[in-house]
Amino acid sequence: MIGQLTKGERQLALVILIFLGLVGLAMAAGGRHDPLGAHGALVIVCALAGLMAVIAAYFDPEPDPERLDRYYDDPSKIGIVIAMIWVVVGLFVGDWVAWLLVNPDLTFDAGWASFGRLRPVHTTSVIFGFGGNALIATSFYVMQRTSRARLPDQLSPLFVLFGYNVFCLLAVSGYLIGVTQSKEYAEPEWYADIWLVIVWVTYLVLYLRTLARRKEPHIYVANWYYLAFIVVVAMLHIVNNLAVPVSLGHAKSYSLFAGVQDAMTEWWYGHNAVAFFLTAGFLGMMYYYLPVRAGRPIFSYRLSIISFWGITFFYMWAGSHHLHYTALPQWVQTLGMTFSLMLLVPSWASATNALLTLNGAWHKVRDDATLRFMMVAAVFYGLTTFEGSFMAIRPVNSLSHYTDWTIGHVHAGALGWVAMITFGSIYASVPWLWKRESMYSPRLVEAHFWLALTGTIVYVMAMWNSGIVQGLMWRTYDDSGTLAYSFLDTVIAMHPYYIARAVGGLLFLIGALIGCYNIWMTIRGVPSAAPRVATDTAAESPVAVPAGAAAFRSGE
Amino acid sequence: MNIFGFHYRLERKGIGLVLAIIAVASIGGIVEIAPLFTIHQTVETDPNMRVYTPLELAGRNIYIREGCYACHSQMIRTLRDEVERYGPYSLAVESKYDHPMLWGSKRTGPDLARIGGKYSDEWHVRHLYNPRDVVAQSIMPAYDWLMTAQLRIEDLGEHLEAQRDVGVPYTDEMIAHATADAAAQIAPDTPAAEDLKKRYGAATIIHSFADKPAQVTEMDALVAYLQILGRLTDAAGKPVAQTGETQASGTQVGEAQAGEAQ
Amino acid sequence: MTIYHDTLVWLAKSAGLFYLMGLSLIVLIYTYWPSNKKRFNEAAETIFQDEDKPCR
Ligand code: HEC
Ligand code: HEM
Repeated sequence: MIGQLTKGERQLALVILIFLGLVGLAMAAGGRHDPLGAHGALVIVCALAGLMAVIAAYFDPEPDPERLDRYYDDPSKIGIVIAMIWVVVGLFVGDWVAWLLVNPDLTFDAGWASFGRLRPVHTTSVIFGFGGNALIATSFYVMQRTSRARLPDQLSPLFVLFGYNVFCLLAVSGYLIGVTQSKEYAEPEWYADIWLVIVWVTYLVLYLRTLARRKEPHIYVANWYYLAFIVVVAMLHIVNNLAVPVSLGHAKSYSLFAGVQDAMTEWWYGHNAVAFFLTAGFLGMMYYYLPVRAGRPIFSYRLSIISFWGITFFYMWAGSHHLHYTALPQWVQTLGMTFSLMLLVPSWASATNALLTLNGAWHKVRDDATLRFMMVAAVFYGLTTFEGSFMAIRPVNSLSHYTDWTIGHVHAGALGWVAMITFGSIYASVPWLWKRESMYSPRLVEAHFWLALTGTIVYVMAMWNSGIVQGLMWRTYDDSGTLAYSFLDTVIAMHPYYIARAVGGLLFLIGALIGCYNIWMTIRGVPSAAPRVATDTAAESPVAVPAGAAAFRSGE
Repeated sequence: MNIFGFHYRLERKGIGLVLAIIAVASIGGIVEIAPLFTIHQTVETDPNMRVYTPLELAGRNIYIREGCYACHSQMIRTLRDEVERYGPYSLAVESKYDHPMLWGSKRTGPDLARIGGKYSDEWHVRHLYNPRDVVAQSIMPAYDWLMTAQLRIEDLGEHLEAQRDVGVPYTDEMIAHATADAAAQIAPDTPAAEDLKKRYGAATIIHSFADKPAQVTEMDALVAYLQILGRLTDAAGKPVAQTGETQASGTQVGEAQAGEAQ
Repeated sequence: MTIYHDTLVWLAKSAGLFYLMGLSLIVLIYTYWPSNKKRFNEAAETIFQDEDKPCR
C-alpha cells in the first residue's frame, strides 16, 4: 500500500500524520477531565499506527512509472475489506439490540452496554461504516473506469478512505462512552464533524480532479449520482451540525438551533441523508454495476437523467413529512407531503429503468446470484419508495409514526435496497479487482442471497405487523369512550414480533458472515473447494462481464 | 507535491455539474427552511417561561447521553388519542430553549413531554434503578449505575455560558452560581436553595431526588429533569379547547391552533 | 428591515412553484434535445470497454 506512494507523497503522509498526532495530543491534554481526552488518545493511536506503516515502508523503492498505465485500485480493495468488517460489527450490534427488546437483561450491567448507547452504534456502523466505505470504494472504481483515467495521485484516495474511518471510529466509540449530539444520523460531536468536513472536501476535489482527466467527453450518469451524494451530504452535514462547544476541552456541544427550528433542520438533514447517502450514492453503484454485470446497457439513459434531477430536486422538500401533526407550521407539513408523493415518479423511474435493463438477461438473473442481488435491490427500492410516499400522507402517518412500521420501512430500504445492491456490487468487484476468474464459491454467494432475502422478508413482515397493531391499539377506544389499552398492553403485544425480527436479523447476519468468508477465500486465491456438481453448473457458468473479463485478460 | 492543490485544471463541465447540483438541491432547502428563521413571529410567546436550572440541564444531558430519546418521544401530536393519553398537545414554545430538541421519532416507551409531576421522585428512582421492579413486563433498560455515579457539576457554568451563546437567556448571575445552584437543588431549606429559587422561580422543585443528600448523583439530575418536563411554561394548559369537538380516533384536535398558531 | 414570516411563506409558495415548473422544463428539454441523443446512446455503451486500463 505505502509502496505505491511516491517519495514526495510519503513525506506528505508523514506530515499529515504528525499533524493529526499533534491534534490528538491537544485533545488529550485539553480534555483530560472529559471524554474528549479518551478521543484524543484514540486519535493519537490512529496517527501512530499510520506513522509506523509509512516509516516501515519509507525506504522501499518508488513505484514504477508503469503504474500510470493501470488504474489505482488499492483504495477500492482496502475499502471493500473495511466495509465488510463494519457490516459484521453493525449487524451484530443490530441483532443484539433487537434481542434486548425481547429480553432487556441480555446485556452487561454497565452504561456502555445499554440499549440507548448501542442503538446508534448499530445505525452508524451500518450506514456510515458499511454504506460509506462501500460508496467510497466503489466510487473510486467507477470513476476511473467511466473516465478511463487513473486517480490523479496515490495519497489523497488513501487520505479520504482512512480519514473517513477515523471519523467512524470516533463516532462509534463516542456513543459507548456517552458522547453524542442525539441528532439522529448526526450523533458525532463537533470535533468529529469538523474532521469529516476536511475529509469530505478532499473527496470532492479528488473526484473532480479525476473527472478533469477523463478521456470520455460525456460524464457517465453513475458519476452524477456519486457527485450529488458527495456535494449534498457536505451541505447537509455542515448546516445540521452547527453547534457551540461548551469549551475546547469539552466533547459536549449545544446545537445552534432549538425547538421547532432544530426539528426542521434535523429532519431536513435526516431525510436527505436517506436521499443522498442511502439513495443517490447507491443509485450510482446500480447504474454502473447492474448494466455491466448484465452485459446490457441501461434501458433508457435519458430516463436516468430525468430521475437524477427529479431526485436531486424533490427530496429537499420532503423532510417535513417526519413532523406531521407536530408543532411545525402546517403549510410546511403539507409541502413535505406533496413533494413526498411527487418523489414517487423519479424513484419508480429509476427502479423501472433498472428492471427493464434486465430484459433479455433474465436467464442470467436466474443463474447468477450476484446479478440477482442487484435485481432484488431494485425491486426493494421500488417497494420502499412507494411505501415512503404512502407513509408521508398525513392520515397514514398519524398511524405509522412513532411505531415499528417506520422501522419496517427503514429496513425494507436498508436491508432490501442498500445492503443488497452493495453485496451485489462487492461480489462483482472482488474478482475484477483481485484478478480472479470468479468468486471462490458461487454457491456460497447463492446461500448468502437466500439468507439475506429471507432475513429481510421476515424482518419487514414482523415490523409491519407490530407497527400496525401498535398504532391501532394506541387509538382504540372501548364502548364507554375511553382508551382501551394501556401503553404497557402494547409493549406486551409486541413481544412475538420482536422475537421474529431478531431471528430475521440473525439470518441476515449469518449471510454476511458467509460473504466475508467467501471474499476472504477469493482474495487469498484459493481455488474453489467444492467440486463442480453437475446439477449446479448453472450457478457457476461464467457470466459475460466485459470489464472484469478484460481485467482478467490484461492479467498483471 | 501538493495533493490538495489543483494540479489538473478542473474543467468546466465537472464544476458546472457540481454547481447545478448545489443550486437544484439547495433552493428547496432554503425555501423550506428560510421561513422558519422568522418563526418567532408565529410561535406563541410566554414571558413567564423559565429556563432549565443547572441540575435539570445536567439531567437533560444525561437523558441525551443514555439515548432515552431512542425509545421516548417528547412531542404530543394534535390527535385526540394522544391528547387523552399524554395530555395537551405540545406547542412550539415549549421546546424553545431545547438545544437540541428531543422530539424523538420512535415510541418504544410512552411519550414523556408531560411526565413532570406524574409520578413521585421515589417512583422514578425505583423505576430507573430497575424498571422491572415497578412494571414487571417493562422492556426498558435498568440504569442502576446512575445511583452511584457522581454528577460533574464544577463545569456547569461553562455549560450555561454555551447555552447563552446559542440564545438561552441565562444571566451572568445564573452562570456565576451554576455549580452552587446545582448542589443547592438537592438541599431543601438551606440559604443556597433560597437563592436558587430567587433565580429560577419559586416553583423550582428542590429535593434530594435520589435520597442521597451527601452527594449529587447523576440520578438526582435525571429525575430533576424528568420532573420539570412539560412544566417550564403553562402555555399548553391555557384555555385552548384541547379536545375540541369529539372526533373519530386518530383524527386531529385543534389543528388550527397547533399548526398555524399565531 | 424586518422580514416578515408571511412574506417568506408567500415567496416560498409562489416562487417555489415557478422554480419547480421551470426546472422540470429545462431538464426535459435537455434530455430530449435531438442532438443530444447520439451522445446519450454512446454514453450508455461506454461502460463496456474492452481494455481495463486508463487511456493515455
Ligand atoms: C428500550 C427502550 C427504552 C429506553 C432506552 C428507555 N426507556 Fe423509558 N420506558 C420504556 C418502556 C417500554 C416503558 C413503559 C414500561 C415502563 O413503565 O417501564 C418506559 C417507561 C418510562 C417512564 C414512565 C412513563 C410513564 O408515563 O409511565 C419513564 C419516566 C421513562 N421510561 C424514562 C426513561 C429515561 C429517563 C430513560 C433514559 C435514561 C429511558 N426511559 C430509556 C422503554 C425505554
Ligand atoms: C420516495 C422515497 C421515500 C419517502 C417519501 C420516504 C418517507 C419516509 C417516511 C414518511 C418516514 C417515516 C417518518 C416517521 O413517521 O417517523 C421515513 C422514515 C425513514 N426512512 Fe424513508 N422514505 C423514502 C425512501 C427511503 C429509502 C430508500 C430509505 C433507505 C435506504 C429510507 C430510510 C428511512 C429512514 C432511515 C427512516 C427513519 C426515520 C426515523 O428514525 O424515524 N427511506 N421515510
